[in-house]
Amino acid sequence: MRRRPLTRVLTHALLIGGAFLSAMPFLWMITTSLKPEGALYQPPLLVPTHFDWHNYVEAWKAAPFPRFFLNSAVMTVGITAAQTLSSAMAGYAFARLRFPGRNIVFLLVLGTMMIPFPITIIPSFLIVAHLGWLNTFQGLIVPRAVSAFAIFLFRQFFLSIPPELEEAALIDGAGRFTIFWRVVLPLSGPVIAASAIFSFLFAWNDFLWPLLVTTRTDMQTIQLARVSWLSG
Amino acid sequence: MNARHVGIVLLLGLALGTAAFAQKVTFWHYWDGANGQALQTLIDQYQKSHPGVTIDATFVPGSDLVTRLQTAIAGHQTPTMAIADQVTMPLLTTSGALASLDDDIAASGLDLSDYFDGPLAYGLRDGHRYSLPVSASDLGLFWNKALFEAAGLDPNKPPTTWEELTSYAQKIHAATGKVGLELYTGGGEGTSWQWQVYLWGAGGDILNADLTKPVFNQEPGVRALQYWVDRVKDGSSSIAPWGLFGRGEAGMVMDGSWMTQFFPMQVDFQLGSAAFPHPADGSPATNLGGEQVFVFNGDPAAQKAAWDFIAWFSSHEVQVQWDRATGFMPVRRSVANDSSYLAWVENARPLLRPFVDSMASAHARPPVEHYSRISDILADHILQALHGRMTPQAALDAAAKSVTPLLP
Amino acid sequence: MTPTPAMRTGRRGGASRPTPGRGLRALPTALLFLLPTVVVLGTFNFYPAVYSLYLSFFKWNGLSPTKQPVGFSNYGQLLSSGEFWNSLRVTVLYAGGMTIAALAVGMLVAVLLNQRIAGRAVYRVLYFLPVITPTVAAGVVWRYLFDPTQGVVNRGLAMVGIGGPSWLTDPSWALLAVVIVGVWKRVGFNMVVYLAALQGIPQAHYEAAQLDGANAWQQFRFITLPLLAPSTFFLTVTALIDAFQVFDLVYVMTSGGPLKGTDVIGYYLYRYGFRYNELGFASAIAYVMFLLIFVVTLVQFRLNRQGATYAT
Repeated sequence: MRRRPLTRVLTHALLIGGAFLSAMPFLWMITTSLKPEGALYQPPLLVPTHFDWHNYVEAWKAAPFPRFFLNSAVMTVGITAAQTLSSAMAGYAFARLRFPGRNIVFLLVLGTMMIPFPITIIPSFLIVAHLGWLNTFQGLIVPRAVSAFAIFLFRQFFLSIPPELEEAALIDGAGRFTIFWRVVLPLSGPVIAASAIFSFLFAWNDFLWPLLVTTRTDMQTIQLARVSWLSG
Repeated sequence: MNARHVGIVLLLGLALGTAAFAQKVTFWHYWDGANGQALQTLIDQYQKSHPGVTIDATFVPGSDLVTRLQTAIAGHQTPTMAIADQVTMPLLTTSGALASLDDDIAASGLDLSDYFDGPLAYGLRDGHRYSLPVSASDLGLFWNKALFEAAGLDPNKPPTTWEELTSYAQKIHAATGKVGLELYTGGGEGTSWQWQVYLWGAGGDILNADLTKPVFNQEPGVRALQYWVDRVKDGSSSIAPWGLFGRGEAGMVMDGSWMTQFFPMQVDFQLGSAAFPHPADGSPATNLGGEQVFVFNGDPAAQKAAWDFIAWFSSHEVQVQWDRATGFMPVRRSVANDSSYLAWVENARPLLRPFVDSMASAHARPPVEHYSRISDILADHILQALHGRMTPQAALDAAAKSVTPLLP
Repeated sequence: MTPTPAMRTGRRGGASRPTPGRGLRALPTALLFLLPTVVVLGTFNFYPAVYSLYLSFFKWNGLSPTKQPVGFSNYGQLLSSGEFWNSLRVTVLYAGGMTIAALAVGMLVAVLLNQRIAGRAVYRVLYFLPVITPTVAAGVVWRYLFDPTQGVVNRGLAMVGIGGPSWLTDPSWALLAVVIVGVWKRVGFNMVVYLAALQGIPQAHYEAAQLDGANAWQQFRFITLPLLAPSTFFLTVTALIDAFQVFDLVYVMTSGGPLKGTDVIGYYLYRYGFRYNELGFASAIAYVMFLLIFVVTLVQFRLNRQGATYAT
């Protein structure tokens, strides 16, 4: 497609405008964090001219960040790995295995995305407490080891892969799990990456559940620390 | 192995043995930053003089404390002791998980009459006391001296009556175009608890004496709400995001005792503080914030150790130390009158003095279980009136109608 | 027939081939694949959801050792409450507005970025940044940006001669402000999904259309749009499910106000569940919320099944 220069200019103008709107809050954040107290609303608002690095230094010094960082890291990696694997497996089952009641189960799984999280808190906490999982990594990870959203994502992706490859493998006598592991997964790079990223972001930023499940400071995650150590 | 070695082993053994037998007390709180450090300093002090006790203080963000306590109580994982915002005490006592402190108070000889009336209103259920006040804050007037001067007002003479408050606010607005008196119009408890100061100043109250009926829609309440509506109407106040005073965009504001520490750091103008004005025919009043400490039913030895710490913490000397380190208001009259404490206020935090004096006229918000909902209903209707959707009388009557079913 | 990487809804349409993964024989394998899902979701989602349904027939403050049974009165109170219907209206406005706007803008950006232009990668990163920002942080920042006198938004508008409204303190504008932030946060995600789908559309289609004399708009309308339908379906379903549960943004930016103008159902639930400690009533709200989202999702699945046509 040949483009006229006008179209090109217009395209760029739109894109730049949109990109600026997207990035503008971050510019503001960075600029503001480098300003001394009291200059919050003074121009320039989007371009740093003050460089008060001590704001960052003080924030860092205020708390035992390495431990919190470690806790967050372990929990996040655990959740990401668990969600990616379990969702890939479930997504495959929904996409390829025609078992009775498949659609109903899929709808039920999707349904869990629609249950407002706060409502599940007290019962979930009670179960975790009964299992003796408070202040443990399994208490932080297992209840969030499955993601209906990721299952949906994987299912859609697997449906779009032509079934010929798997059928060929089946005819050759391969078991379903082998097919899943050796044939389908290697083709799924993009969706695995996408799902892992979303799981990672969710887990890293999660606040309420770790708050409830950790009662000892040494098990707290970085989001908790951000709130407790940096206020004021 | 010589004598010295034996000695070391014995000492180690003693230390380890004491540690092993040390009574552990877990304490949940939401004091952060400097206040948290002040608490830890006191805890360390206490542990040094009481070697058989270890107090493990854990920070829980304030907004999540009640949720944490709910899950802890449901899961039988309660700490030994905790603090909570005083207005949540009526809710917390419904759990039946808190220990009654009556016997401990009587045995220790703690003089409850030395406490200000306001804080003591919380923590009671069926005639028993389940919590003790440990910290407080109250509201007062701050003003921007530079803006006073710009409006031709004496920068060292704050308004003391509503009439003066109105006149000063209007003058500031006329002379500088900025807001004369900043009101918290963001809704919720922030709006309610500011407005309550006006209500009490005018001689009204939120609920009747036995907490069964709302009375805020009577004449003093209507007068107080009309005051707000008039200020917004004549432009001396405005409906805007909070924070104008701190940016130098408002001449006066009602804010808390804790701001005596933060305002000077944030603002580039001279400021003054005073008791908040009341109508000429009304009486001084202010609102009260603060925390109360309580103990959970559980291991009796831990409970006893917790009480011992609370008794120590509530003693005159420790309270003076605590209030100096944190800037909290004294909950005990003897502390508020203590000469060394007042000398410290004079030298280190002169802005704090009017707040200390106001503690005697600090009212408690109603100690009822559904206070948060009542507060939100009140705030919603105050805002309806401010936005001109309802008259003050109609708004307060509607609010009273919604509040009545929530009371016993 | 070229396989398209565009996402499909996977109904059973298409040629039916004999596959061993069918019927009862598939059950054991299916169980194996679904084991972690069933166990975890069953324990930590279903059981709590059922418990919550049970709670909705009681009045309980979460602390007292006794719960008071109240039959259906929580639901009765809910359905006759003006606050609830206001909440529903606000939520529908937010969800509809945010979803449609974010889809349109996301699609537009994806189409623009699908060409060989300079700086594609940079643009993609910039547009995706809001997606990875924690919602709470985004809300806090935008609250400052929307400040009536000092915020960047109104200052920017002033530069082109427009006097901006009070945004978050104006009952008529607050919801729009929240929608804007919701859209800002979502566009990058939609863009990524659409980009992937666009890249799967063979150039041959466009070339053929051009030969037939179709202009850019016609090509978009008759080729691009229909082929993006599966992605649109996925994005709409997930966006609506998300939008109906919006909470963080409202909590940080407006606290449901002013005058309940942004009191979305997620915030309404939070108020009753966590501020007023009415757990029974809050559970009823949650169930009504759930039913709503479920019905809306079901309707979308039905509509999609009826309208599905795929290019081959």
